[in-house]
Amino acid sequence: MASLSLQQVGKTYGTQTAVEALDLDIADREFTVLVGPSGCGKSTTLRMIAGLESITSGRLLIDGKDVTEVPPQQRDIAMVFQSYALYPHMTAYMNMAFGLMKTTRLDKREIEARVHEAASILHIEDLLLRKPNELSGGQRQRVAIGRALVRKPKVFLFDEPLSNLDAKLRNHMRAELKRLHSELGITVVYVTHDQVEAMTLGTRIAVMAAGRLQQFDTPMTVYRKPANTFVAAFIGAPEMNLLRCRHSQTAEGRVIDGMSFRITLDGQTPAPAGDDILLGIRPEELFLAPADTLPGGQLMAHGTVGRVELLGADALAEVNLGHHRLVARVSTEQLPQPGQQVVLGIDTRRARLFDPVSGYAHA
Amino acid sequence: MRHTLSKYWHHLVLLPLALLWLSPMLWIGVTSLKTKSEVFDSAAGWLPSVAQWSNYPAALSVAPFGRYLINSVLVTGSIIAAQLITITLAAYAFARLRFPGKNLLFGLFLVQIMFPIYAIFLTNFVTIRELGLMNSLWALIVPFVASGYGTFMLRQAFRQVPAELADAARLDGCGHLSTLWHVYLPLVKPTLVAFAIISVVTHWNDYMWPLLVTNSEEVRTLPIGLGLLAKADSGADWTRLMAATIVVVSPLLLFFVIFQRRFVDSFMHAGIK
Repeated sequence: MASLSLQQVGKTYGTQTAVEALDLDIADREFTVLVGPSGCGKSTTLRMIAGLESITSGRLLIDGKDVTEVPPQQRDIAMVFQSYALYPHMTAYMNMAFGLMKTTRLDKREIEARVHEAASILHIEDLLLRKPNELSGGQRQRVAIGRALVRKPKVFLFDEPLSNLDAKLRNHMRAELKRLHSELGITVVYVTHDQVEAMTLGTRIAVMAAGRLQQFDTPMTVYRKPANTFVAAFIGAPEMNLLRCRHSQTAEGRVIDGMSFRITLDGQTPAPAGDDILLGIRPEELFLAPADTLPGGQLMAHGTVGRVELLGADALAEVNLGHHRLVARVSTEQLPQPGQQVVLGIDTRRARLFDPVSGYAHA
Repeated sequence: MRHTLSKYWHHLVLLPLALLWLSPMLWIGVTSLKTKSEVFDSAAGWLPSVAQWSNYPAALSVAPFGRYLINSVLVTGSIIAAQLITITLAAYAFARLRFPGKNLLFGLFLVQIMFPIYAIFLTNFVTIRELGLMNSLWALIVPFVASGYGTFMLRQAFRQVPAELADAARLDGCGHLSTLWHVYLPLVKPTLVAFAIISVVTHWNDYMWPLLVTNSEEVRTLPIGLGLLAKADSGADWTRLMAATIVVVSPLLLFFVIFQRRFVDSFMHAGIK
């Protein structure tokens, strides 16, 4: 396996910039997820790593070796495509063996051994003589992964491999991919627009938007400490509540005034630069308070319930707090009714402050 | 009764139409087995009284039809082989590569399709003469080694192949020719067969161009031989003419019987030409 380093990697098509000055250092055996909305440049980045797109600027290093100008078949990488890209006229066996036959000097027996080894890992030994149109979606997925496995590459690239599967199969394959990663210790770069996949699979996740890297960190850090409002809104479902508040210095100290509530900043929180501030609170950091008094670190406010959406295990309640509209994750044991007056508890210990102009989080 | 009629009414319509379409072929076959006098004797009836199989060797001995058959096979075979190579390479370039002037060049290919073939006969004739190829099999082959229509057909077929397959092939170590051979061509076989059928039928039956550029028996093709037989100074011997016609159309008929499914598909693929 190997490390991967993108140094100021950029891609332009004429005057249009698809990826801008991307710096990513991926360690050996790391499962890195590139996540972002459609058009953010994640697939373009993956294709540049694969060599299927040329790199307009910057350098790409695999295991310390500059492969920026190296053709795809010589980069020692393997890729699993969104649509699997299995050759329809070849059997599953030939799909897996074809690359080895073209790029290596392995003899027939060795190729056969590798194919059967990969098939055994993926439990597709009995499917090798079938053609892709005789396989289900999940089986094709496994053959596509097998085609990558047999090459024993330094880096595995996955381009939204689960997006064509139904929800149940997607969950199953996610677990399979996690198992493969831990068993084989492979270095993976995985592209998805699904944040659940990003959070569950990634060792670290790189959030991208408009061709730029927004944040690159562990899933929980990205979730708890989003670097800017884009990451705050994109990661987490439902997205983080962002409340426009006023910051001021009072006799009590520095205060965040949300009209319906006030938060006094502790001495450790850096002072925001301007008077306007965005207060970010996750839905699960809001709760319906049973009484008017709350433990320390928690704030209380009175609001009116709007919509309530039942999710099964819990529910999402829209609460109008003055001119703010928040979404709170509530237990189905204490399901509020639309129009109900509630006391809302806000756990401010995990709240994040963002600059309303730049969108960046205050440290 | 009503149920049977509603289920099979289309047979009642199509059978007479089929007979109508077949009637010329039947007439040719029947006439080829008659005597000269039976052809124009209405009292003789539709069928010959005694089948005159001797008409066939007699027809083949009037002109070197064996030679003509070999020439037709050589010319048609060479044209289709050359076309399959040129249209494959051109169609791949137009479908998958980026190069300056690509759209303009493809536009010219389309313009070539719209030109009636007779409009360029004169220029082709002059070119063949300048190249010193007159009265040779090369004169029959060279002007047709490329095909704008075939390039267009195959380009459309290549564009249907998902681009990710080409990406996968690149990662598997394939260059352009390897990708073409291992990935694209196997997936466009129906289109290749469809085009081959159209091309074979067109060039096998070609009469005008071979008539223009050939004037010796060594290089004539079957349609020319048949035409000469029809214009014999002594007047057409219809029985031998029909026998020769059966000989000329038989290879194509056999070809059609074997590939009839592909034949129909070829028109559906290409639109009616």
